[in-house]
Amino acid sequence: MAGKKTIPPRHSWWLLILLALPLLALLVIPPFALLARTSPSTLLRYLGTPAVVQAIMLSLWTSAVSLLIVVAFGTPLAYILGRGAFVGKGILEAMIDWPIVLPPAVAGIALLMTLGRRGLIGAWLAGAGVQIPFTPIAVIIAQTFVAAPYYVKAASVGFSAISRDVLDSAALDGASPLRRFRNVTLPLAFRSVMVGGALTWSRALGEFGATIIFAGNYPGRTQTMPLAVYIGFEIDMHQALTLAAILLLISFGLLIGIRAAYSRG
Amino acid sequence: MRWRTSFPIALVLLISGGCRKEQPAAVNAPPATVNVLAAASLTESFTEIGKRFEAENPGVKIEFNFAGSQALRAQLENGAPADVFASANAKEMNTAWSEFLVKPGTIHDFARNRLVVIVPKGNPGKIATLNDLGNRGVKIDVADASVPAGEYTLQMLERMSKDPEYGAEFKRDFLNNVVSQEENVKSVVSKIRLGEADAGVVYVTDVTADAAKDVQTLSVPDAVNPIASYPIAVVAKAPQALLAEKFEDFVLSDEGQEILHDFNFIPASPGMR
Repeated sequence: MAGKKTIPPRHSWWLLILLALPLLALLVIPPFALLARTSPSTLLRYLGTPAVVQAIMLSLWTSAVSLLIVVAFGTPLAYILGRGAFVGKGILEAMIDWPIVLPPAVAGIALLMTLGRRGLIGAWLAGAGVQIPFTPIAVIIAQTFVAAPYYVKAASVGFSAISRDVLDSAALDGASPLRRFRNVTLPLAFRSVMVGGALTWSRALGEFGATIIFAGNYPGRTQTMPLAVYIGFEIDMHQALTLAAILLLISFGLLIGIRAAYSRG
Repeated sequence: MRWRTSFPIALVLLISGGCRKEQPAAVNAPPATVNVLAAASLTESFTEIGKRFEAENPGVKIEFNFAGSQALRAQLENGAPADVFASANAKEMNTAWSEFLVKPGTIHDFARNRLVVIVPKGNPGKIATLNDLGNRGVKIDVADASVPAGEYTLQMLERMSKDPEYGAEFKRDFLNNVVSQEENVKSVVSKIRLGEADAGVVYVTDVTADAAKDVQTLSVPDAVNPIASYPIAVVAKAPQALLAEKFEDFVLSDEGQEILHDFNFIPASPGMR
């Protein structure tokens, strides 16, 4: 897709490697250090305990629902941002970015102010007998809020990179808008969409700060893997290490799986 | 060519050099910082104690790290640079002691605390007595069992279940109503102040003048109220051991005890000092 990669002269490579090494080491060593402290047998033993299973299942299904919501509503939004030209687009883009920039704890408080029992919308919902905090729905909302920008940003970049001519000729061929999107736009932006989806899923899976503030911490209901790791760290270091290793393996597996699916597709 | 390879090294040296913080030299005594790890429930009282201590000891700066006692103990285990550890229960202090993290001779109880039930202003859960906490549909927020306040809450429930006043089912009914187990007791206060839950169990000292604007309290009778004891100690590897002892002495002094009393703590029993 991109042009031929330019190869720097040999001595520059060594310099680049030398400069990249410290950061690479920082990113790669800690996960291995974590895994080095746990053994496969303890991992399996903890995988059998109800508390761990509960946290894993909750994390998996809530983050999957979050991803579905983000893809369903984020794709049109990404298309508007990627291909549309309108006044205030820059401001809109900046506003969509704010969950990335702000600390998750701030996101949690903002969500409480919005959907809490006395929040902007929450007070009205409470009047109708609906309470969101302390439920799995709150977990999903926190994850969606924090993770959505990654997908929207990546997908909109993908949509914006498609040349006008390609879409015009597809329209001239008489393809309906929906068919054009499915057969031309989406395949051309596929890479960006997949990368965005993977980022969003991983971010949702790792969400902590907004969840503990907005959704609270209750095993089986709102205690996701990251919360279980955090609480576990203070009670039983060993359990926390094991949970952390499991979370690491799951998210790593997800990323690898998505990459494999992408390279085949 | 040579400068190219030496550049990253120079960069590293530059960065590490930048990390060394040069303290501005004071006229008389060199400034010293005492790091105090203190239970979240001590936030207000210790902040005040720190201010007074600093005023009486020019050149000394007290830095606080307030969190759940179990989190602080975990930080100590992981080598956090600290001088003083003040826990909200004996359990975390005993663990720290058994792991040689604190100086045994310096462990003293310095305050006691008790539990109270708080409800948001307006009492949305219509809780008139402690018995109502077992009513269906009431939303209760508590501290996690790993946090001292959460452990005391469970002790309270245990005692209440044995008391005919509340009945044997009380603990079960209460726990069924729990919607969240917070990681520190101050989060319980915040969520009740925001009205997110109908009731929360916290320490008497958490109902500060500021918090009292947003919550109402229901007292827990002595018979079922576990009295929390707060131990303090100098950290074994304290970089500022002498000042740490001085700070501990100040907490145990009449002046320190008076400040704690102002923040609704029960002073330590004199025998313990």
